[in-house]
Amino acid sequence: MKIRAIELVNLRRFGGQRARIDGIGDGISVLAQPNEFGKSTFFDGLHALFFQHHRSKTAQTRALQPHAGGAPEAAVELEIEGRRFRLEKRWLSRQSARVLDDAGRVIAQEDEAEAWIERLTGQGLAGPSGLLWVRQGLFGLEPEGSSAADKAERERAFSTRRDLVASVAGEIDAMTGGRRMDLVLTRVAEALARLATGTLKPRAGGEWARAVDEAAGLEAARVGLEDKARRLTEALAQRAGLMRNLQALSDPEAQAREAAGLSAAQEALQAAERHAEQMRRAASDLRLAQLTAEQSAAEIRALQDLRTRLRRAAEAEARTAAELDKVDALTAEAAGQERAAAARHDAAAGASSAAQQALDHARRAHLATAAQARAIGLASQLARAEAQRNLLEEQVAARAVFRITPAALARAEEAQAVFDRLTAQEESRHVAIRLDYAGEARVRLDGQPLEAGSLRVQRVTRLDLPGIGGMTIDPGLGAGDGLAETRARAGDALQAALGACEAPDLAAARRALSEAQRLDAAIEATRAMLAELAEGGLDALRARLAAARAEAGDTADGPAGDLAALEAALAQARAEEQAALAVRREAEARHGQLREARAGALAAHRAAETAQREIAAEAGDLVDLAARLQILSEAQGQQAEACAAAAALLERLRAEAPDLDTARAAVARLRAVCEGRQRDRASCETTLAGVNGVIGAWADEGIEEALDELRGREAAAKARAARYEREVKSLALLREALEAARRAARDTYFGPVLRELNPLLSILHPGAQLQIDDSSLLPVALLREGQAEGLDILSGGTREQLAVLTRLAFARLFARAGRAVPVILDDALVHSDDDRIEAMFTALHRVALDQQIIVLTCRQRAFASLGGARMDVTVSAL
Amino acid sequence: MAYSFLHSADLHLGKAFGNFPETIRGRLREARHGALQRLAAAARQAGARDVLLAGDTFDAETPSPETLRHALRAMAAASDLRWFVLPGNHDSLAASELWRRFLQDAPANLVVLTRPEPIEMESAVWLLPAPCTQRRPGRDLSEAMSAPTPPGALRIGLGHGAIMDFSGEEGGLGIIPPDRARLSGLDYLALGDWHGRMQVGPATWYSGTPEADGFKHDLAAGALAVTLGAAGTPAKAEVRPTGQFQWLRPALDVLPGDAVAERLAQCLPPEAERRDVLMRLDVSGRLALAERAALEAALAAVAPDFGWFEADLSRLASEVQDGDLDMIDRRGALREAAESLLAQSRDPARPGAERELAEAALARLYALVQEVPA
Repeated sequence: MKIRAIELVNLRRFGGQRARIDGIGDGISVLAQPNEFGKSTFFDGLHALFFQHHRSKTAQTRALQPHAGGAPEAAVELEIEGRRFRLEKRWLSRQSARVLDDAGRVIAQEDEAEAWIERLTGQGLAGPSGLLWVRQGLFGLEPEGSSAADKAERERAFSTRRDLVASVAGEIDAMTGGRRMDLVLTRVAEALARLATGTLKPRAGGEWARAVDEAAGLEAARVGLEDKARRLTEALAQRAGLMRNLQALSDPEAQAREAAGLSAAQEALQAAERHAEQMRRAASDLRLAQLTAEQSAAEIRALQDLRTRLRRAAEAEARTAAELDKVDALTAEAAGQERAAAARHDAAAGASSAAQQALDHARRAHLATAAQARAIGLASQLARAEAQRNLLEEQVAARAVFRITPAALARAEEAQAVFDRLTAQEESRHVAIRLDYAGEARVRLDGQPLEAGSLRVQRVTRLDLPGIGGMTIDPGLGAGDGLAETRARAGDALQAALGACEAPDLAAARRALSEAQRLDAAIEATRAMLAELAEGGLDALRARLAAARAEAGDTADGPAGDLAALEAALAQARAEEQAALAVRREAEARHGQLREARAGALAAHRAAETAQREIAAEAGDLVDLAARLQILSEAQGQQAEACAAAAALLERLRAEAPDLDTARAAVARLRAVCEGRQRDRASCETTLAGVNGVIGAWADEGIEEALDELRGREAAAKARAARYEREVKSLALLREALEAARRAARDTYFGPVLRELNPLLSILHPGAQLQIDDSSLLPVALLREGQAEGLDILSGGTREQLAVLTRLAFARLFARAGRAVPVILDDALVHSDDDRIEAMFTALHRVALDQQIIVLTCRQRAFASLGGARMDVTVSAL
Repeated sequence: MAYSFLHSADLHLGKAFGNFPETIRGRLREARHGALQRLAAAARQAGARDVLLAGDTFDAETPSPETLRHALRAMAAASDLRWFVLPGNHDSLAASELWRRFLQDAPANLVVLTRPEPIEMESAVWLLPAPCTQRRPGRDLSEAMSAPTPPGALRIGLGHGAIMDFSGEEGGLGIIPPDRARLSGLDYLALGDWHGRMQVGPATWYSGTPEADGFKHDLAAGALAVTLGAAGTPAKAEVRPTGQFQWLRPALDVLPGDAVAERLAQCLPPEAERRDVLMRLDVSGRLALAERAALEAALAAVAPDFGWFEADLSRLASEVQDGDLDMIDRRGALREAAESLLAQSRDPARPGAERELAEAALARLYALVQEVPA
């Protein structure tokens, strides 16, 4: 479809006028006129012709009316697939709509004309053609003022955007399911939201969650109640058991049997106890008889013992008295022998003492003589030692003079060698000058005359030649290399080394070291000699001498005598003394023994006398003693007979005795049985009462009925929850399928759009791409160099350019689909700078190759470079 | 002489029906209690003075005091009748507290048969009860029915449990020999346990429960009015309906193209009866999406008519026809989504549960798309 002419009659700016644009060609057509010319009136009129029903009386329609009133009219001449058509509409008064063919025939009018237009636009009034109407204010470029006009313009812009979105959505609807898809998805989402969370878990408060919670609650209650029911069942079983026990415990026959048994056992026990008493008495009698017999026997034994003891005491007294007498005699004899031995011993001891004294005197005399000889020797040794010590002191003093050491000498020798080497080097550098004088004149050096002969010059030296001048001698080689200084330092080092040797030269040093070493050897020899003579030192030697002299002085008090004879005499005297002492000791021992024997004999005799008296006192009259023995012997036989009789009786009773313990155990057992029955019955009744109470209380609750109900409700709740879960899964699957299909459709839809858009975009922004929002279906970001820039942060000019490019892309898309429609720009690109607007013009021309573009603008200069065909408006009065 | 009595069993008074919604739960429990009155009426109509309850009068061993008391009051109210109550497996003698309380407040016209001993109900009519000692006694208690009675007397056995060639209500193996009546010389053996009515032998019957409690049995609940002639003559048992609620479980097998609404209507009871009907409809076969949606809508429409209604569509497959997806959309994302779900539902590599989910999601999509305006 291409627009070839537009005609407005009495429409807004052109009240009472007919305004017409003719000859609109293919490609770009431009209407560049100043403001208030009526360009937007053409825009609005054309828009109304396509999108406002001829019977519409909306505010938007009434806005077409000029101030003077009247019915606005609009007409457009179109070329469709090579044929010309004219569309006409009149609004508000005598409304009409007509479609005429190129022959001027009306091919449709009124509603049919509207239907024809609707088919032409393809998708109804909100169809894709709406995309192509671009006017200032799109994409947020509305006026920002607060005046009524600004507000109205913003509203119009918003309306335009909305229309734009609607038209985009309309096309997308065809691909994505559109509003129906939205509604279905909304209902699916609502149904899901009622039941589940975003992660498909039961939503709190939802039916599913309620079913799950109810099932969980019922399950918990059921488990609790099952436990209670189990305990009730156990209590019932316990009660049944208790009742059986109680019945058995209350059995009268069993009770009677037990009572009879107890009575019989008690009688048996009493009989056994009586028999046991008889046995106890018989045993007591036997014991009494046995004790009596034993007492008699003991008394007889005591009397017989007393009589024996009395006899033995008399014999002992006589024997001890004789023994005492014998000991007395021996004791007197021993005392005499002891006295004689003591006298002999005392004499021998005196002789021994005298021999000892003589021997001691002789020994002291001999010691004094030896000490005197030793003192003489020691005095001589001391004198030699003192001489050696004096020699040593002299040698040490002589050695102290020499401080030289072999190391010091070695350093001096080394320093001498260095010095000599340097001296030789220095001397090798001397210039030898020989002075031979013929006259008086003398060469002077440093003011001093030099005699004839050789002169060695080591450094630059000036010689004064009187009457002639001077002569400077420069040895040349090695000058300035510091050899002299090195040699001087070596000389200093040599002197220091010799100083350390305390020698003027190296030979003296060597002699000094030799002397010092000789002295060291002499000192060592002297010290060895001194040590040999005075081991431990001179003081020790002097002390030994003093001691020897003292010893000689102390013992020199008489002649020495014959030591051997004296020692033999002393030995003889001591032997005799020892022998006398042994005899004396033997005599003393025998006397002591006899004294002790006498004391023992005396004590024994006295004891025997005492015992005899005591036994006699105990026995009393001896006649009575014999009588008593006779009586007791006679009674002993009777007592034996009594014992035998008692023992026989006891034996018989024992043989006949019943088992008392068994009888007692039987009674205890049977009594315990009877008491246990009573106790068990009481306990059983008590327990039963408790169990009955529990059962009664629980039975009142109708546990099993409640449990059965809970089980049913739990099963129903779980089934309901399972149904809801299946419902949620089904809805989730449906949602997933719907969204996947819509995504795929959008991708399918936007793919071609972007393929058209990106080449246009690259004209302005090479390499950039647009990102299109999935829900708003509009560009939302510009992707440049890997960065996504939201449209809202882009400049107004860029946003406006993107808006225009987007529409151009859509237009190309439609054109490729064989549905080419014009693009109409009304005061678009007002925010673009000069460079960008040039690029936009290029883009427009690129699209205009197969697309009609109508540009309405007030920027005549700026759009001069757009090119394209210029349109003229013909205005005529009606 | 002729002797008539009413044979019933398995009242299961106090049964909780917890797996049903609260509204119907209360009604079901009340209906079980009302069965006592209806039994009394049936006995009177049959000219019987004695009502023999062959076990499981109570559902639990420890029913609530209200259940117990209400039963006693209802029996006492029918003072012109005698109630012979036999402990069954649900209310066996092990439920000592139950029977202690029951006997404690028992009216004069109530006989609790706690001992396996013959009772002379009236002259020359002897009742030979075999009360359950435990929930699962593990032995043939009906041997007690061989106890001697005076010659020429009518012998009526009263027992509870499954017979040997027939499993019990709860699936347990039977112990009572099927020819117990012959073995013990019984003129009639009144049995309980099987909730459906069934004749086991010439003189042996399960009366079934007087008030149905599940979908297991098809016959209408009732009691047996039994008339015995002279000893040795055949017993005559006549059914007396006593049930309030019907438990129906019809099957509806459908195919694409069926008139679904009409087929459904044929499965349903008259509208006036539906309030006292519990219905579980088993739908099988396959339907197109539109037909399935129509069926689901029809089911949702009739469900409130019933005391309880549930339709099991798990065995109903959805058949997607050419036009079904067009009804969702001819092209675009909705169509793509529908085709994706259809492919998933038909993908044999997927587990059955996933295919069912995909099928359900597709059906849901179809329904949602129909709801939203084009």
